[in-house]
Amino acid sequence: MEFANTRQAMAWLHTWLGLILGFVLMVCFFFGALSVFDREIDRWAIPDTRFEPQPMPSFDHLLMDVYERMEPDATEYQQMMPLYHDPAAGPMTPRAELPLDEFWAYTTHRDPVLSIGGGFRVPHEKNPEDHNHIHAQTTIDPRSGEFIPDDQLKIGSDWFYPLHYSLNLNWNFIGIYIVGIAAFFMLVALISGIWIHRKIFREFFTFRRQKSTQRSTLDLHNMTGVVALPFHFFFALTGIIIFISFYFMPVSQTLLTPLHDLHEETEALETGLPHERSGVAAPMASIDAMVAEAKRRWAERDMAGEVGFLMVHHVGDENAYVSIYRAGSDRVALVGEGIHFNGVTGAVIREDAPHGFAEAATEFLTGLHLQHFEHWFLRWLYVLGGLLGCACIATGFIFFVEKRRIQHAKAGSQGSRIVDAFAVTTVTGMVIAAAAMLLANRLLPADMAGKGDWEKWIFCGAWALSFLHAVVRGAPVLNARKNPAWQEQCLAIALFAVLAVIANWVTTGDHLVQTLITAPYLAVAGVDLSLLATAVVALLAARRLQRAAQVSPASNSETLKGEVAYD
Amino acid sequence: MTDALYLLLACSLTFIAMSWLALSLPSHWKQVAEGKPHSSRLKTAGWLTLAASAICCLLVDHPSMAVLVWLMLIAGAAFCVGMLLSYRPLLLRPLVLPPFARH
Repeated sequence: MEFANTRQAMAWLHTWLGLILGFVLMVCFFFGALSVFDREIDRWAIPDTRFEPQPMPSFDHLLMDVYERMEPDATEYQQMMPLYHDPAAGPMTPRAELPLDEFWAYTTHRDPVLSIGGGFRVPHEKNPEDHNHIHAQTTIDPRSGEFIPDDQLKIGSDWFYPLHYSLNLNWNFIGIYIVGIAAFFMLVALISGIWIHRKIFREFFTFRRQKSTQRSTLDLHNMTGVVALPFHFFFALTGIIIFISFYFMPVSQTLLTPLHDLHEETEALETGLPHERSGVAAPMASIDAMVAEAKRRWAERDMAGEVGFLMVHHVGDENAYVSIYRAGSDRVALVGEGIHFNGVTGAVIREDAPHGFAEAATEFLTGLHLQHFEHWFLRWLYVLGGLLGCACIATGFIFFVEKRRIQHAKAGSQGSRIVDAFAVTTVTGMVIAAAAMLLANRLLPADMAGKGDWEKWIFCGAWALSFLHAVVRGAPVLNARKNPAWQEQCLAIALFAVLAVIANWVTTGDHLVQTLITAPYLAVAGVDLSLLATAVVALLAARRLQRAAQVSPASNSETLKGEVAYD
Repeated sequence: MTDALYLLLACSLTFIAMSWLALSLPSHWKQVAEGKPHSSRLKTAGWLTLAASAICCLLVDHPSMAVLVWLMLIAGAAFCVGMLLSYRPLLLRPLVLPPFARH
């Protein structure tokens, strides 16, 4: 490959990196934008949980009983038990009889429901040095302590949110690695994009939509990329920072395992938090009293707050200790101000010291991405940033195809048609998949066995169908015309979105007049209104595509003057 | 309640600031008004207004949060101004104040 100058090399890099990774980044941006309101989407999808956010309930009076009833995960038991258990030492303990070793509870200012979980000890273990835990994780109604059935998928926080950082490809964490690589190359694409963009300031506000599709698409690509540049840059960067220990984790779990384990023990010595059980049974002190003491100490430091995360280690042992962390609803940085108590005496063992500059910087950077703060306005601005990112990537695809359409048609190449079909699938197909999933969620009966799995299959099925549709309808691209799939899928989005809102009304009785005015419940109203807004935008886009198709079947081909060659 | 008002003020100021910065470019000025812009005055006014919007953000939130709100507001305002210039440029006409025109 030879380039006349750096600029052309950068253009080449930007074009091809953007094309290949754009598909991944589009998923990250779109579902990231939805994840800003993941808890609210959960409420929409699980109508039983449509009540106000609750503070952490009482441990002594409510949660301790719930933990007694909690059972270890059946799949994990089947998979891991034979690995941990030593048949020579004694019989295998049945799943429901494993002793609880540690448990935790987690909530935020947006959660009506409470996430709880724990780790169960494996008696007669092969290697006592190992962690040997079979885990449990579940959700409860903190008002009554009732379990919420796991069949009801939390579409926001357990599907859209992990999709955004792992593509929900869980085999060997491959999805997380793909997203990490895409995020890294997004930084490269941003820098190369700035390099090849000649007139960042002069064309900062420029969108010449009356010019050719190619020109106006490039304008929009530049504008959405440049105006939200700090957002794009920092979210790609902080996304990498959040997972940095994960990307390097194999080291601490493979080559450096002895060092890692030694560090854990040294840390336990330094902090005074016991690393192991003593083996001597002892009753637990009141956890509510510890919570009250932790809150008193936070208030004393002028940072009064609620409990966000609480974890008890070595339950029922003399070495039991309780770690209590503050919810970070009032600031960006993600710090817990952890206070640790002796689980038997209830005395404070230690308070986590405030962090130095490097840690504080990391806490700020990860916090701005993970947004535990309470700031509804900034949340919406983040959605805007995410959607601007989507617009930037989508216009990038369209520009790529527009640029080559005629050339490829003359040469009889399939290139444009393939890229165009992928673009349709990632831009409109993704929205169809999400809307179809929400619609299915309201139409499938609530007590259906494996309902969540069905919803996932419908999501994937709808997405696959949109790809097939885009391929089948793509023949006109071979003649340098537009793929009618764009317009048809816009109509499908509008249809699904409106049907989802209607289905929510019919199945739950929560229509917009009620959720906005008579009995306000903004989480559900927000999802409904966003679906309606999506439908309106999709209809406008469909109408515009219709008109463009009527006016000029193949005349959108003026050449760009004074522009960079993107080949 | 005052917080909401300050945020609303911050939105408006950011929008006005970005409009003036856009109008300081002759090509955009032409879309909205006749003659030529007094670019340096428009730029100064734009940057000062942007600073004012930053102050509004700081009055509501801790600086670490305010800076995020401010940067995202700039992105949103710039996008809105860009779209207005493309679809309804004349709506920006009220922001063309006499000192900004070069005679």
